[in-house]
Amino acid sequence: MAGEQKWDKVVRTTVWSAGAGCHGGCGAKLFVKDGKVMKVEGDEDHPWNQGRSCPRLLSLTQYMYHPDRVTYPLKRAGERGEGKWVRISWEEAFDTIVQRLTEIGDKYGRESVLFCQGTGRDIGGPISLLAYSYGSPNWVQFGLSGQSCYTPRLVAMFATMGDYAVADASQFLEKRYNDPQWTPPRCIIVWGQNPPPTCPDAFFGHWIVDCMKRGSQLIVVDPRVTWLASRGKYHLQIRPGTDGALALGMMNVIINEGLYDKDFVDKWTYGFDQLKERVQEYTPDNVAEITWIPKEDFIAAARFYATSKPAAIHWGMPIDMNPQATVVAQAISHLWCITGNVDIPGGNVIARPSHGVTAYPYSTAELERLYGQEFIKNILSRKIGASRYPMVRDFRHWAQPDLAVDQVLSGDPYPIKAAWIQTTNILGGQAADTRKHYEALKQLEFIVVVDLFHNPTSMAVADIFLPAATFAEKNSLRSWWTPLSALVKAVQVGECKSDWEINLELARRFNPKGVPWKDVKELFDSRLEVSGLTFDQLAEKGSWEMAREGHPSKPYRRYEKGLLRPDGKPGFSTSTGKLELWSKCYEGWGLDPLPYFEEPPESPVRTPELWEEYPLILVSGARSSVFFHSEHRMIPWLRELDPHPVVEINPQTARELNIEDGEWVYIESKRGQVKRKAKVTPIVPPWLVMAPHGWWLPETQGTEPYLFGIWDYNINQLIPTGCQSQSGYGGGAYKTMLCRITKIKEGRE
Amino acid sequence: MVKKYGMIVDITRCNGCYNCFLACRDEFCGNDYPGYSVAQPFSGQFWVKVIEKERGQYPKVKVAYTVIPCMQCEKPSCVDVSSNKAVYQRLDGIVIIDPEKAKGQKQIVNACPYRVIYWNEEKNIPQKCTFCAHLLDQGWKEPRCVESCPTKALVFGDLNDPDSEISRIIATAKGKLEVLHPEYGLMPKVQYIGIPKRFVAGEVVFRDKKDECAAGVKVTLSSKGNADKVTKTDNYGDFEFEGLDADKDYTVSIEHSGYSAKKVKVKTNIDTYLGEILLGKIAVKNK
Ligand code: SF4
Ligand code: SF4
Repeated sequence: MAGEQKWDKVVRTTVWSAGAGCHGGCGAKLFVKDGKVMKVEGDEDHPWNQGRSCPRLLSLTQYMYHPDRVTYPLKRAGERGEGKWVRISWEEAFDTIVQRLTEIGDKYGRESVLFCQGTGRDIGGPISLLAYSYGSPNWVQFGLSGQSCYTPRLVAMFATMGDYAVADASQFLEKRYNDPQWTPPRCIIVWGQNPPPTCPDAFFGHWIVDCMKRGSQLIVVDPRVTWLASRGKYHLQIRPGTDGALALGMMNVIINEGLYDKDFVDKWTYGFDQLKERVQEYTPDNVAEITWIPKEDFIAAARFYATSKPAAIHWGMPIDMNPQATVVAQAISHLWCITGNVDIPGGNVIARPSHGVTAYPYSTAELERLYGQEFIKNILSRKIGASRYPMVRDFRHWAQPDLAVDQVLSGDPYPIKAAWIQTTNILGGQAADTRKHYEALKQLEFIVVVDLFHNPTSMAVADIFLPAATFAEKNSLRSWWTPLSALVKAVQVGECKSDWEINLELARRFNPKGVPWKDVKELFDSRLEVSGLTFDQLAEKGSWEMAREGHPSKPYRRYEKGLLRPDGKPGFSTSTGKLELWSKCYEGWGLDPLPYFEEPPESPVRTPELWEEYPLILVSGARSSVFFHSEHRMIPWLRELDPHPVVEINPQTARELNIEDGEWVYIESKRGQVKRKAKVTPIVPPWLVMAPHGWWLPETQGTEPYLFGIWDYNINQLIPTGCQSQSGYGGGAYKTMLCRITKIKEGRE
Repeated sequence: MVKKYGMIVDITRCNGCYNCFLACRDEFCGNDYPGYSVAQPFSGQFWVKVIEKERGQYPKVKVAYTVIPCMQCEKPSCVDVSSNKAVYQRLDGIVIIDPEKAKGQKQIVNACPYRVIYWNEEKNIPQKCTFCAHLLDQGWKEPRCVESCPTKALVFGDLNDPDSEISRIIATAKGKLEVLHPEYGLMPKVQYIGIPKRFVAGEVVFRDKKDECAAGVKVTLSSKGNADKVTKTDNYGDFEFEGLDADKDYTVSIEHSGYSAKKVKVKTNIDTYLGEILLGKIAVKNK
């Protein structure tokens, strides 16, 4: 194209990073001139997004070159919260950090330091590398009550299938929709997610729309009328927190009407009879009463799902925010097991890291090799939550967040004295009970924040601020399902470094033996070894490669071919070799092996007196098309499209409360009040209000006590901690609290 | 044959992702294209605007997005009011505001009934969408907004070329195509599929069989005594009339044998969900 000669180079890379991104894995083209990214487009040769992009990507240059971006290391000059900083060199920053963390570790033990991350993108590798090299087992999604983001769904799938599964939109195939192996799902259940605005959980939102164009019909489970819901064949407008009852009720219909796949169930599942017995408690009448969904609607939806093969389920974070989320996710995964929609084209296909590459060491064997047996024992025994929750001890390496914040405050069973907070805005975004986390962090002796902009967290508590790179400024690796992808550095901005570079350097200072790689690229090369590619080769291929046919990370029907189990036999990678509807894993962890339903901690049913006083269900966390969690509020083009922290209120409810569209109101709960602008809209039902999360106002005062407005606008102040499931994972009550809306009277503002 | 550019916006496909808007910002903010346009300011102007429309009442609600660029009218009123030929139509139909000649001509902003011209205070000029004429002249096939649209809600091309995608859509989608505000008489070359109209919907319930769905019940929509549309309730007893004119008086009549008929009056100043309509059984006397 004539226009392209203007550029010095066009870099093809992958979007997946804190620093202008989300969970997607889009291919992007960065147009570079004089060492600057001038323009960004979706990469039309990349099978993931096929040239498409999104508002966050299209405004990347505004993000990278924003005047407020921090581009060199800082140390705090005044008191915490005064907003006084001085520029320091990386050398000084590293020296200070090593000295302070060593002092604290020597005095209180290495486990007294928390290593905090936000939502996973390419942060798991760097942060575990640093935490473990330093010697702390406490790597944690600090503030995320119940670790209620994907982990509950992952553990449920792992326990049931020995693997993970995702809705098949042909994403594992290079030719995508044109590959003859693939057929579109005849039915897709979009359960608790609004994929088009964001691309959560390694799933590109527009794939749902692509499938619709190819004939897929939708069942949408959502209390709100999203764009997808208004185009669904069935829209199940569910009461938040009752997804477990719905799944069990749908199974009741499918099993009792004989609509399940009998051959598949006989051959490939374990515990069907027990499940059948359990679902008898969940009759359509009971479930209609619990979920507030008319019985004929979900009966019809259940029949449609069970009789439309292939059918796929795509699900979201509200599942993880149900009470006892690990069994709710288990129940939903049973739906695809009993209908035989497992690892078939257009069903729920087993997802493994592409090419068998893990982007960082996390198997126990590997960790032992790097850090020694003693330390691994330490992780298992000393990690916060490990002794209380066997599931937390055994599944993934994170510490339990609700217990972590309590332990900071109590010092019991051992003190917590410092925190490394990397690309996570705890006080402006992730944390439930913002005030509690604020009080906790304030007590710590030393805090490092690694981020791209100042935010409420860095302003309130950072002693050192390290500037992180965006995805355009770093090399990194992604093997999260598919394809195997490289993030390829296009330019340098200021003195920013990638999370990988920062942590590798520091990790080496703490434990040279745990860092046997010369630099980041050598580390990637070693991770990539099983794929037969080097990092540079992968980058040269346009930054991605699909796994070859016949590889265990490539669908379909691998359980028939003996590709899933270590012993090479057909079946699944579970102890029985079958899909365990009655979960031996759960039993081993001391949990009920079968799914069940529990009311949310506050609800019209469980706390009727409270419901009289607070007669609205408060849902937080719905996605904006232009922001990712607490990021992007300072990006002018994006903010213009979504300028205010709003609360969605149904017109009927607004009329009863005498509230006008656009009026500022209070959301009040028994935990406090938050200010929002009323958005009166019929997309929410009259009994619910929705308040987006992650709101802080970067254009306002950042110093104490204001902290960019979090005490006025951050909805998480109304969300408690401590509602985690019995398993330790899931249950964060981000979508099920009760509230009321009141007018802001004159003189009160 | 000379080219004549046009665009189709398929509202049924657009999911409101805002890519078109951002691609436009990316193209025009901070970039002058001499002869075509000067830089769009970093905020305040919406050369391609995405408008969210949510219609109806709980539990019957619809969501749609309408995308509005300059309509590139065949009879552009903006051209007429400009002096000094500051606004002109190219041979390919694109309407361009000459940034030099248009200086100070605020009346151009008000001449457009579609409100797609913006006043740039700092530079003292009116500005609007150019269909990315600077790119088309370099050989591009479509403007940035169309290129960035992930759902193919936007289709662009040569209306004079019978083989172009846009001409093919026009040939097959006849009757479905509309323009915004035809009453302005400006003959836009941006045409729409699925402009949200009004709907009237409801659910029929038999008073004596409340647990059953009242399927197959005849429902008639009439205005001024004439039956406009007839439908039957679906398996759940629901019915819907879509694509109705706004601000009209209608009567919905529900008839089913053995039950007394019912009439409900509605005015389509808003989309209306009538909720449950109960039909009572006609009392049959024992002989
Ligand atoms: S839409 Fe308005 S600005 Fe565009 S050509 Fe028509 S009258 Fe002129
Ligand atoms: S890019 Fe396409 S789908 Fe997105 S808002 Fe614009 S027209 Fe709609």
